[in-house]
Amino acid sequence: MNKYLDDLFLYPKSWVDDDALGFAATARAWAEKEILANRLEYQQGYDTLFVEKRKKLILDIGFERLVLPEEHGGYGWNKPSSAPGILTVFTEIGRGDEAVAFIAALKYAVFAIMTMQPNVDTALLGELAPLYFADELKNVALILPGAGLDGENTALFNGRSVPVTLKASPDGYTLSGKNLRPLGPGFTADLFGVVCSDKGGRACLAFVPADAKGVKKGAPLKMTGLNACRNTDISLDKVKIPKSYLINREDVVTELYAWLNLLLGGTSIGGAMNFFEILTNWAENRTIKGKDIMKENPLCAAVLATVAEEIAGARLMAYSMAHIMAQPESWGGVGGSGVFTFAQMLGSRIQQACLNALNKGMELMGSAGYAKEWHVEKHWRDIKTIQSWLCGVGADVPVKMDIARYFYDCKEV
Amino acid sequence: MKHFDEFSLPLEQVSPMEKHIRKVLRAWADTDCIPFRRRYDEDWKEHKLIEPAFQKLMVDLGFQKAMFPQELGGWGIGHSDYVFRIAYALSEEVGRADTAIAVAFLVTIWPLTTILVEPHVNWRLAREFAPWYVNAKHPVFSALTMTEPQGGADIENMGLLGGKTLRTTARLEGDEWVVNGHKLWPTNSAGVSKLFGVPCTTKPGSHDKNDFALIFVPTDTPGVSEGNPYEKAGMAADKNSDIWFDNVRVPAWYRAHGPGLDAQTFTEIIPWGQVASIGFLTGAMLNLYERLYEFVSTRTYRNRPLKENDAVAGVIGRIAGDIDICRIVGYEAACIGDRRNKAYGLPIHDEEVIGKIRNIKDFVSDKAVENFGRAMDVLGAYGADREWDIEKHWRDIKIIQLWMGGKQLCQMEAARYFFNCTSI
Repeated sequence: MNKYLDDLFLYPKSWVDDDALGFAATARAWAEKEILANRLEYQQGYDTLFVEKRKKLILDIGFERLVLPEEHGGYGWNKPSSAPGILTVFTEIGRGDEAVAFIAALKYAVFAIMTMQPNVDTALLGELAPLYFADELKNVALILPGAGLDGENTALFNGRSVPVTLKASPDGYTLSGKNLRPLGPGFTADLFGVVCSDKGGRACLAFVPADAKGVKKGAPLKMTGLNACRNTDISLDKVKIPKSYLINREDVVTELYAWLNLLLGGTSIGGAMNFFEILTNWAENRTIKGKDIMKENPLCAAVLATVAEEIAGARLMAYSMAHIMAQPESWGGVGGSGVFTFAQMLGSRIQQACLNALNKGMELMGSAGYAKEWHVEKHWRDIKTIQSWLCGVGADVPVKMDIARYFYDCKEV
Repeated sequence: MKHFDEFSLPLEQVSPMEKHIRKVLRAWADTDCIPFRRRYDEDWKEHKLIEPAFQKLMVDLGFQKAMFPQELGGWGIGHSDYVFRIAYALSEEVGRADTAIAVAFLVTIWPLTTILVEPHVNWRLAREFAPWYVNAKHPVFSALTMTEPQGGADIENMGLLGGKTLRTTARLEGDEWVVNGHKLWPTNSAGVSKLFGVPCTTKPGSHDKNDFALIFVPTDTPGVSEGNPYEKAGMAADKNSDIWFDNVRVPAWYRAHGPGLDAQTFTEIIPWGQVASIGFLTGAMLNLYERLYEFVSTRTYRNRPLKENDAVAGVIGRIAGDIDICRIVGYEAACIGDRRNKAYGLPIHDEEVIGKIRNIKDFVSDKAVENFGRAMDVLGAYGADREWDIEKHWRDIKIIQLWMGGKQLCQMEAARYFFNCTSI
């Protein structure tokens, strides 16, 4: 392939400012040098071998400070208008490794809730930023609404169970919940963003330090993908947090979902674009039927076209989502029902498109598609893991219900 | 529905011995494989955990002798009118537990079908190899070494290429074949097998099927060397590697049959592989149903069991419906094979048989990939979790979709038959 990815997969470049393009170029250089050039070596232990690579990106380059306001030592991208730029950067990181991007996305999304204008929570940020944006890697995992257990009657967020309950106490709040499945690096998390329900059953977001009394972590889980992201189930046994560690404004959870969909969309698109590069190399150098270059065979070309279509479509959807989020005042805020619904709808489609690109493209690669040597199967496992996790529970049914509620005013679904 | 056994089978066409075979294999799966399989991925290189499952299945229960004639100490299944259906049942039951164990076991039989199954029994070779398998105290594996570095699945595309792209050569010197070449990826390579079935050409570049040779090569023959196992997305119980043949000499009578019939029996191997693949897939899907049933019965959406939500029911109903249909068509693929000696049947090298069975494998593969992916989504945050088993099958069955020429070759073989295509 002799074309630059951004020249192939057209996107609304004018929506991305020069700062973001510069940062994206830095992220691309990091991916090329630190990850892509050596990635076969990392198979022996992503979770440990990637730590130094993550440090370079997160701490040395300072990537994670993008979300912080300038007055808190950040780059000041804490405006919704930064959404297309941050999408561009996450796409580049995801191209290098989905797990690195995934872990970064969770932290960005959680802190966006308290840093993003117009909802900057200076007091909370003053407490948390020094603790979780220091000189060491600090991981954040999320407890999102999802599957409930038969026989239990939990509060609901748009149909999904909210298994963590919140009780007010004189000096703060107490959180309780059992057998909770985090989204993200639960085993190594330093901070949990926990969606919980208050007395009235309303969903809100609490910040729970992993070393708080009553936080219990289980053994690390074996997962399909995202090997650099070690997860585990946790329990919260009457965990106390200060009052300031709770955000309970009206749209806090929908806003969180909007950011997650955008950032994880970029992550998977980046992985899919790297797969496109690998597949292109394969199709240009493989002969079939004893004579034909693979890409010149019409059947194979049709499959290759599908792969490109899926990725290109996903990228355009992601930029549309970013553009909508960049102008929240037009649509009732990032957490408003319009932006939330479009984020859920497009986010789901983006993940499905990326996975379909992988599934189809692998069909042309035979055993190279599933051999670890070619790195394709890793992208496939990583993107599938992100896609399934984002479903929460019940496949795409909860997202379909979100869409139906918005477009058709359904009350009971 | 009380049990996954209630997924449809054409009961009037089931072998009388199938019920017993399934019962034995079900017990093996539930006690010797399923309790351990979540740790198989980490055992991909050593097979310390996997080996006992093979030992029980192939030696203690005796399944590695199943295909050999009774007079040679086997079970004589190669002579049964139900041989394809029994192979399908074996594939399904073992595949339910672990498709990689299923393929490693069935591939042991695979190259031997060319010399053990009526009407092409080669008694001299059968007598030569039978003691290796029927008297063994440990599992004895075989491999069919098809794929070559330059052509991928071209070797399986006999209909169009007739072996033209083969680079592995067989040269007759006196009463010996001298084999040279390089193969990739066979199941049961990387030092696992005792015997290779090696597709070769006696005249490089020729598409004349008389120049195609299928030669059996014991793996301890001087000149045979194998690489280390490849690391893969799944299927830890199946080892694959490079194989090199460097002036490997075997007796002339180690050729399966001879000019013409070698190409025919090799072509007949393809439906065997496809029917077994379909069995692996439906077996895995039966297990998908078991695990999914538990999840949707115990986990909730809107505080009701997932399966009681109309929209989720729409998803899981489709999954179960697809499993039922896949089993019906899978069994039909096996029946097509078993009609080969009937007046109303066709030989299994016939274009119609190959086209139809390839088509069924393609269909079932697509459905398996789709439904395992959907099932993982139903599990959501638990979908990628090893503890629920579905993700392991998801990684494994994708490999089944891609092997033996993958989807595109299935599509071409089907098109050739259904539309009389002449150049594709």
